[in-house]
Amino acid sequence: MQQPPVQLSVRNFQKSFHGKAGEVRVLDDLSFAINERDFVSIIGPSGCGKTTIFNIIAGLLEPDSGAMHYRGEEIESLRGRVGYMMQKDLLFPWRTVLGNVLLGLETRGVDRAEAEARAREYLKGFGLSGFENAYPKTLSGGMRQRVALIRTLIMDPDILLLDEPFSALDYQTRLYLEGVLKDAVETYHKTVILVTHDIDEAVALSKRVIVLSGRPARVKIVHDIEIGATSPIAARGDARFSGYFHSLCAELDIQTEKTA
Amino acid sequence: MPETASLQKRKTGRKRRRAGFDTAFGRAMLQVVAVVAFFAVWEIGVRAGWISAFLVGSPSGIFSVGYKMILSGELVSDTWYTLFEAILGFIIGTIAGSLLGLALWYSVFVARLVEPFIVAINSVPKIALAPIVVLWFGTGLVSKVALSVSLTAIVALIAAYQAAKDADVDLQSLLISMGADKHQVFFKAVVPSTLPSIIATFRINVGFGLVGAVVGEFISSQRGLGHLIYTASSFYDLNTVWVGLFTLMVMGFVLYYVIDMIERVSLPWKQSSTTHQVQV
Repeated sequence: MQQPPVQLSVRNFQKSFHGKAGEVRVLDDLSFAINERDFVSIIGPSGCGKTTIFNIIAGLLEPDSGAMHYRGEEIESLRGRVGYMMQKDLLFPWRTVLGNVLLGLETRGVDRAEAEARAREYLKGFGLSGFENAYPKTLSGGMRQRVALIRTLIMDPDILLLDEPFSALDYQTRLYLEGVLKDAVETYHKTVILVTHDIDEAVALSKRVIVLSGRPARVKIVHDIEIGATSPIAARGDARFSGYFHSLCAELDIQTEKTA
Repeated sequence: MPETASLQKRKTGRKRRRAGFDTAFGRAMLQVVAVVAFFAVWEIGVRAGWISAFLVGSPSGIFSVGYKMILSGELVSDTWYTLFEAILGFIIGTIAGSLLGLALWYSVFVARLVEPFIVAINSVPKIALAPIVVLWFGTGLVSKVALSVSLTAIVALIAAYQAAKDADVDLQSLLISMGADKHQVFFKAVVPSTLPSIIATFRINVGFGLVGAVVGEFISSQRGLGHLIYTASSFYDLNTVWVGLFTLMVMGFVLYYVIDMIERVSLPWKQSSTTHQVQV
């Protein structure tokens, strides 16, 4: 298999936070590369700084040191060019479904009529037409997260940063949304970085899985997942699925023993 | 399964409690009965000589005085005058206070700098300013409005500033990751999320607006319900005092529901959550 070109590379990220208990080193010399149209999952013990990585990439935090390159060009951050999705759907409660989907296009100053037409098209594509004027609180958790996904995709971001986007949902809804995500990524040719603590989800969705060590976070190992199934449910039925699952579990187990 | 059992019990318990008078009609009837009974006891007490009509007035006396004042137009003009002062003070104070409070979100430095001053101003009982306000702004309309503004502005300022500080950081981060600048974060995330708190202060401030108007009229004025109450009480004309007080009560009552309507119209996304209450 030919290796696709690198889209985003992160080199030697270091980040410490100053808390009451003194300095806490969260990232220590962290480096990894994301290829074009990659689907990479980052797993690791909880509190190991996965969200911090995303916040740096999205431009919400500055690293103490380290560099980021996007398609070979050194950049400060990907602010305004990433699609950031978090565990909370973060729908604006005072905006309707349509208003929420339009949020990013509004900040970009896209023409209202054009933006609305595009939003309605996306809503239709994700089976949410008829809910344009509903307020988020009237929707189910799965629908809300689907709206959040549309809000992210409609901006046509260079990279999707998904921070445990489905972890607050029940298992059936999660399976369904994993499928929706996988399809959307294929349709819109997106690159995805997914932070999850769900090994099962990481194996079912990703092309590669980066395993981080406990705090301070370092890349422990990168696993290529060569299932290539069409859907996350089919992936779970693949003969190699449990092999990947167990080797990733083993990686994490060793670390929990070490840090405990 | 002890959990299911206790849930079951609570459900039936709630059902039993809601039965009987706990319907919209039943509650209205009980409220009317309570009001009628109150005035009936009052009237009977005065007529039977148990309580002194000189000190408390009497419902029939209040009614005839009120009727006369309505016919002469005196009550209506006093009511409008006080209402105008109160609403003007409320609007100016609430808008100015809210805008200042929101503006403090822009600069953490300025906000920290002025915080102790805001606390200091807030800790002065504003009513104590009334004599100075009259000295500065005269005995006319302006001094009453100014007093209302001083009462309402600080409440609105503190509420708006606090709400802006408490605005969801994750929503702001999301906007920033989308490439929004500070103005966009302010107008798309901070301002809308402070609206419920700001509108909640309307309820308090409508009352404060009236307090400012009435106290201002007590100190010195030729018109208004405060003036009416003050002069009537100095003549021991209790029935007229009550007419003024009940008019103020009705005014506050109506204003409360006007605010309620404003809240419902301007916060459609907040609806339906407020009608449900956990039954304990």
